[in-house]
Amino acid sequence: MNETAPPLNVVGEGFARTDAVPKTTGTATYTVDVSFPGMLHAKVLRSPHAHARLTAIDATAARAMPGVHAVITRDQLEGLNPTYGYFIKDQPIVAIDKVRYIGDAVAAVAAETERQAVEALEKIVVEYEVLPTVAAIESAMADTAPELFEEEPMGVVPAYGQGASGARRLGINNCYRFSYETGNAGAFEGCDHVFEDRFLFSRDQHFHLEPFVSVARMEGETIDVWSSCQNPFPLRKELARVFNHPENMIRVQVPYIGAGYGAKNNCKTEPIAILLAKLSRRPVRFCMTMEENFLTQSQHAAILNVKTGVMADGTFVARSGHIWLDSGAYSDASPLVAEKAGYRLPGPYKWKHLDIHCDCILTNTTPAGPYRGFGGTQASWASESQIDIIARSLGRDPLDLRLQNLKDLGEAYVPGESGVDSDLRAGLNLVADRIGYSDRQSGDGRGMGLSVGFKDAGGVNKPAQARIRITTNGGIYLHCGTVEIGQGVQTAMSQIVAELLNAPLDRVSYPALNTDYTPFDQGTNASSAIVVMAMAVQQATLKAKQKVMEFAAGQLDCSVEEIELDDWSIRKGNESHPLPIMIMRYYGGTGYEFTGEGFFKPDIDHSAPLETQCVSWEFGWGAAEVEVDRDTGLVNLKQLVVSGDAGQAINPLVCRGQDEGSAIMGLTGALFPCMIYDGPILMNGNGLDYRVPLATDIPDGFVSILQEQGHGPGPFGAKSLGEGCMLPVASAIANAIEDAIGVRIRELPLTPERVLAAIDDAQSP
Amino acid sequence: MSGELVYLTCRVNGEEVSLHVRPEEIFVDVLRDRLAATGTKVACDLGACGACTIIVNGNPTASCGLFAWQAEGADIQTIEGLANNGNLDPVQRAFVENSAFQCGYCTPGMIMLARALIDRDPAPSRADIRNWMGANICRCTGYEMIIEAVEKAAALQQEACNE
Ligand code: FES
Ligand code: FES
Repeated sequence: MNETAPPLNVVGEGFARTDAVPKTTGTATYTVDVSFPGMLHAKVLRSPHAHARLTAIDATAARAMPGVHAVITRDQLEGLNPTYGYFIKDQPIVAIDKVRYIGDAVAAVAAETERQAVEALEKIVVEYEVLPTVAAIESAMADTAPELFEEEPMGVVPAYGQGASGARRLGINNCYRFSYETGNAGAFEGCDHVFEDRFLFSRDQHFHLEPFVSVARMEGETIDVWSSCQNPFPLRKELARVFNHPENMIRVQVPYIGAGYGAKNNCKTEPIAILLAKLSRRPVRFCMTMEENFLTQSQHAAILNVKTGVMADGTFVARSGHIWLDSGAYSDASPLVAEKAGYRLPGPYKWKHLDIHCDCILTNTTPAGPYRGFGGTQASWASESQIDIIARSLGRDPLDLRLQNLKDLGEAYVPGESGVDSDLRAGLNLVADRIGYSDRQSGDGRGMGLSVGFKDAGGVNKPAQARIRITTNGGIYLHCGTVEIGQGVQTAMSQIVAELLNAPLDRVSYPALNTDYTPFDQGTNASSAIVVMAMAVQQATLKAKQKVMEFAAGQLDCSVEEIELDDWSIRKGNESHPLPIMIMRYYGGTGYEFTGEGFFKPDIDHSAPLETQCVSWEFGWGAAEVEVDRDTGLVNLKQLVVSGDAGQAINPLVCRGQDEGSAIMGLTGALFPCMIYDGPILMNGNGLDYRVPLATDIPDGFVSILQEQGHGPGPFGAKSLGEGCMLPVASAIANAIEDAIGVRIRELPLTPERVLAAIDDAQSP
Repeated sequence: MSGELVYLTCRVNGEEVSLHVRPEEIFVDVLRDRLAATGTKVACDLGACGACTIIVNGNPTASCGLFAWQAEGADIQTIEGLANNGNLDPVQRAFVENSAFQCGYCTPGMIMLARALIDRDPAPSRADIRNWMGANICRCTGYEMIIEAVEKAAALQQEACNE
């Protein structure tokens, strides 16, 4: 931060969130609340088979059922580009030739009530030819495994920069591989010790409380769709392709979102709702049940093989790794998650050589997609577990070994990359001190573990645009495409605008997103808003302010340097000139609006592995203390200390909520059962059987510490935040378990069964 | 299948409501679809998450598991009824001031749950709060800020009583 910067008035204050009153009074509008006269309700027929050829489907009887206005089977897909996906367009709106997992959409009905829709679905006659299934990564890669896609689906491999590459269909059911290499492969030979470990990562489900939901209607030939969606502009583009429809005649509107954690990207309910609306010429609401959420999107389970070479003095030299992600039945965002899991596997340490592959393996299970942490959770689990394994083997304290090898502030992550923008050692020492690490009594069932969660944040080659409008009487509208999904972006951006315009916070409004007039944004993801969108917002605000100042200077016949903006008046020496009067005198009594446009995008840079340098590095430092019962295998979490670095917190309360929420989300993957599959059958895919942390699961010793180290690239020195603190949780706990009972668990979640098995293993000779 | 309609009379946020309901109709649908009280949210629809919590005769109740006819004669409070002439209830105020929400989808249920606790015990301990609030799921916050808000709500209410 600039040392002569003026004191901040609005930024840095823990103001009540600008969405507080709507959300605490029940007046906030979510997509589930959107309703139109004559609106129909959609329901989907889902496959009972994990893998089958669709030999015949007859919906005649369903069409004749009471209340039914439209039915979709594959016959209604004529004339559309009926498959969607990120890099690879492989997921059909409804099944075309095959179904590929239990829950795959086969047909859909729009009827006057949900009940009528369900009754009509029961009349649809489907014939399947059942095929053999693959429900896990290893069986799906076997030579004899049945292929989910016999033909190569349409898709692309994007361009990469230095050291990175992508490839498709390198093996059976392998839908994508990301690879990254740097340094000399001979580096392992010079190492004193080489460690090879295999880690398993289970899959959590997002468990967002607002379901996947959209409401679609045709306004003339314009498709008008309300959606609980994190990336409305890419969604609009994808819908335009799927429906062969001009982009300017598709309007996506996004009110408040009842959370997503990554799940609500790209097509979910929208294609079915839109197609039913087109067929019925009525508004159609498609709201999934929580059971259907479980059949629509999940995190990626993973196998991670990690090989690390170090010197006798503990210096890290080389790491190679191979990750296999369980992509479920369709590619979805798997190629992007693979990029990130692979790219993040090294962790923020000083390496001379890296060689990493990450494969996406299709299985007959729920499609896996974006999930908070985005591959970083899997990578941090393996990386930070192995660092403790190495430390113990070398007889070194795990804290010490990390401090020795962590990157320095400003040091490039890999060749061609930007420098890390946090002091990693400071963060680690902070959580270690807070938990009492150096005074701990290891063993005897009690122990502590540390971890440094890490990810690149801000997205890849991510452009953002923003617009400011200021009315005659000083009402400020901030139009930007980051959607309020719970993260507090509305509040944080409004605080930035208020600070820059020397205005109170309540003069700033943040209209809900509408792709017809909200400026473009790539999506609400990658902890990017505060370092990417916020730069565009800052520029838009300053441009609008400049126009106001030039106007006022002209009216007052002086230079801009002689005046200051003070709330919505102009101060000139001792005089105060209210702007509304000046504006109406010049523009007429009906007034005027000042506007400003802002834009930000990182530069294309082929020397950077992902073709743009990372905008901001996101860290989550974690420390855990556990008590392990050797008889039952139960892990009792006594303390969990997490810390993120906001650079400069725009709103510290919002930051705290993000850190704590992400840490407890991370706890799910660490200690809770996650998604339990019996072959291709999901056993706990509903709100009752699926366990997420409750208030009663949180230890009294749960603490988050917000750092503001001041090195962020965003406005006022802000940094990405909101995903980091979930990343260290599982490995910190596994490391604490080893500290407590001397056994290493390499598989998540850390269930009592696994703890007992590890104890048994350690005891058998 | 639908049998005879049932005539339901109850009080919702202090106002008497009378309407015909189907025997299988669920109370949260009556609220959301027929009374336009959409503040109450549905998530799991199984009585597990508490997003749909309302107060029925003083008891926090999952309205997704309540048949409409079961509300006969009941006194019902929903999130819409808490604020009084634009003055927020102490629980709402505490949630606002402490940022005890993020996406806000669990929030109406959390606030009603907390309201029912403070109605029973105006000065609950932190452990009592944690236990009681353990009935509802919030996937966003990690709960600490919610628990602190409930502590504060009790304090705000005490203050108001002492004035
Ligand atoms: S929606 Fe009623 S308890 Fe979950
Ligand atoms: S605030 Fe999102 S679920 Fe609680």
